[in-house]
Amino acid sequence: MNDREKRDFQGGLNAEIDAWLKGENTRRSFIKKFGLMTGLLATSSGILSPWAENALAQAAVDLADPASPLGKAQAAAMKASTEGPADGSAYRAVQAAKQFSGATLNMTYEAGLQALDPRNFSGPVWEQLTGIKSNVVELSNPDQYSKAVAEHIAGSGAYDVLDISPAWTPSLADGGVIAPLDDYIAKYMNQADLDDVHPLYKALPTYKGKIWGFFDDGDMFALYYRKDIFEDAKLKEAYQAKFSKALEPPKTWEDYAQVAQFITDNLAPNVYGAGHFRKAGSPGNQFDFLQQYRANGGVLFGDDMKAGLNSDAGMKTLTNMLAANAASIPGNNELDAVSLWAAFLQGKVAMIYSWPPTGRMAANYSQSAKAINFIPQSSIAGKVGYAVVPGNPEHATGYNKALSADSKNAEAAYLFMQWVTSPPVSLARVMLPYALRDPYRLSHFKSDLYGELFPSAKEYLINLNNSANVGLLDIIMPGAQDYFLSLDRMCTSVWAGTDPKAALETAAAEWDQTTDRLGVDQQKAFYAEFKKLPGASADNTVEKLGLAVKL
Amino acid sequence: MSAPATRFDTLSEWSDRHFKWLLVAPAVLLILALSVYPLLFSVWVLFVNYDFTVPGHGFVGLRNFTRVLADPVARWSLWVTVLLSTINVAIEFLLGLALALAMVKNFRGRGLIMSLLIIPLFISPVIVGQAWALLLQRPFGPTNYVLSQILGFEVTIGWLTQAPWNFIALVLADVWQWTPFMFVILLAGLTAIPPNLYEAAELDGVDGWRAFWWITLPQLGPMIMLAITFRILDAVRLFDTIFVMTGGGPGTNTYSSSFYLYTLGFTQFHLSEATAGAWMFLVITAILITFLVRRLLKAEPT
Repeated sequence: MNDREKRDFQGGLNAEIDAWLKGENTRRSFIKKFGLMTGLLATSSGILSPWAENALAQAAVDLADPASPLGKAQAAAMKASTEGPADGSAYRAVQAAKQFSGATLNMTYEAGLQALDPRNFSGPVWEQLTGIKSNVVELSNPDQYSKAVAEHIAGSGAYDVLDISPAWTPSLADGGVIAPLDDYIAKYMNQADLDDVHPLYKALPTYKGKIWGFFDDGDMFALYYRKDIFEDAKLKEAYQAKFSKALEPPKTWEDYAQVAQFITDNLAPNVYGAGHFRKAGSPGNQFDFLQQYRANGGVLFGDDMKAGLNSDAGMKTLTNMLAANAASIPGNNELDAVSLWAAFLQGKVAMIYSWPPTGRMAANYSQSAKAINFIPQSSIAGKVGYAVVPGNPEHATGYNKALSADSKNAEAAYLFMQWVTSPPVSLARVMLPYALRDPYRLSHFKSDLYGELFPSAKEYLINLNNSANVGLLDIIMPGAQDYFLSLDRMCTSVWAGTDPKAALETAAAEWDQTTDRLGVDQQKAFYAEFKKLPGASADNTVEKLGLAVKL
Repeated sequence: MSAPATRFDTLSEWSDRHFKWLLVAPAVLLILALSVYPLLFSVWVLFVNYDFTVPGHGFVGLRNFTRVLADPVARWSLWVTVLLSTINVAIEFLLGLALALAMVKNFRGRGLIMSLLIIPLFISPVIVGQAWALLLQRPFGPTNYVLSQILGFEVTIGWLTQAPWNFIALVLADVWQWTPFMFVILLAGLTAIPPNLYEAAELDGVDGWRAFWWITLPQLGPMIMLAITFRILDAVRLFDTIFVMTGGGPGTNTYSSSFYLYTLGFTQFHLSEATAGAWMFLVITAILITFLVRRLLKAEPT
């Protein structure tokens, strides 16, 4: 070290020491602190990971009282998974999946109540049986589509099992996002289990001759009405006198509006005739319009793929819906599905049509679970009757379990899907009080255990089955989101006073734009595929095809 | 004689020379990764098909722009944005100024009232929207019942589903949340005005109104510009309360630009069109920002 270097070194040292004594940052202290922080960050993942994993991990298995119907169903599911029958889909899935012990499956679920089943029941039980962990990724409904596509484009392999709407199957299959299951089914499944699915739902995962998932949620609309009101002697007499016919659950949409208006006229403000979820963005508008429109003979698209909305059937549908709105609870057009449930459970509304949890909530069964205790207790338990929605009810969305084409654990993922949708396991799942998964297998509809869940559960199941016999499917083709959005905008603008004819014209124009955007020929081909499905139109229901299930 | 320089010495010398760049490198890399790359990516998306319902990313020229420009909902949403932003900010300014003038002098309980007044600022807009929706929504919200009791006849307003009441509801929620913002900034401005100006005015026999007009307003000018600029920048992004309270409805009646772009991108999955719309909206807001910031920089108390 020469003199100059020594001097610089000494000077630097003094500056360092002075700064240290003054508590100032120096380059050295900065580097030291930076190093410490970097080290801390590096080690923090090790410290935080177990904590984070613990926080996000599924809960321990949440089993019901073994003496309860649900407890018995859960025990039966466990027995079928561990003891057989040896050719059962549940048993075969578990046996085959043990080779993948230690793997983790990433599965998408709709955020909220839907995710409680894999977190509290099916996920932990599957891990107990096979050693395969599950990581539940909660997403909003639109994100269940968009994230799956985005991750596929990125090739991340982020998901193994996808919960998808049946309406998305063609797009996701053609886009290579999901994989066909036929080879796995041939290898592992007891094929009789496929025939156990109600005919309306059975074909939903099938597209271009291949099976792209397992149906997993019978989202069938049904009519729930107050038996005590419909059986009231004075009301019955007055209705007979006024309309020369019996007061009974309506079978046509004209009757529906008439009965609702009659009840409102006689019982409001204590009870109103009907209620609907008509809020903008709540899917009630699109589902209701589609079911009534097709029951009124409306066709979705003509032979040239021009929208058929702007038609007599469209006008009749909107006119009927307006009449029903007028007969409904004040604020009808501001209700979402949960508010409508609240109004019905509090006894303010005589008739609603909605998803199957309505029946379980009305019987106070759902509210036995803490997770769903934000729904008010039912004041109408024991007073609720079940009927098929006038004309043809909508199967409103539903869910398929699909296998991600990018899964790094495809076989294990498939086996989970087979197991979780197998008859005994799916029965235990649709019986969970907090479940939003609804019966869809014939064995569900016929289940004695389900029939014991609440006093009128058997009639409830029969009605769901009968509804599926005449049920209609949502549009299953690309652009479904756009078509649905146009319907929602059309309906809500009509509720706010827009002329129905003008609203139908606007919606039809939007539908045509969507079709043009996606390609008329391509959409025509998709529509042709859709029309083949049972439930695609009122002329093509399960019942009309001679496939109705009688219980 | 000094020892030959080792590789470590060379590295050390290089790091000494470029130390400042090494320090900022992580931040620069982060900005590049999180801001610049997405920005450049979005420029590419503008001219291709990037749509979750239409496979492929073929070049489409200006089609994404023309589709947005041709969409009547896009034009309507821009008008709704301008309308709501203007009304919201104007009311918030007037109320905020009135409150600030009322609170500028010390009085018993002033601290408590000020604390209560600024509470809405700390609440997430989604929660504000949900709270107002619960208050206004029929049949469970109490608003119509209370109004009926006060007015003596039955009030059946559809606050969230009927025009113009849905707009009034959105303005109510926004004004409730953001008036305190105006109030706080304007109060800070008022307390900074030298009291000797008012003393001198009083000696000259200037009355209260003229003192407000000739002293308070000019002195408060820069703060008014600041408050209005900040609020307008925020108000044009209006999304949360619309999403929660009206869902954009009825029809597309309460679509703001943000809500329209969200729907286009994340409900309909037309991402390239949503990106084109976002860029056009960015240009419009950039012009507005430039104008406001120039005025802000020029604003000096006279």
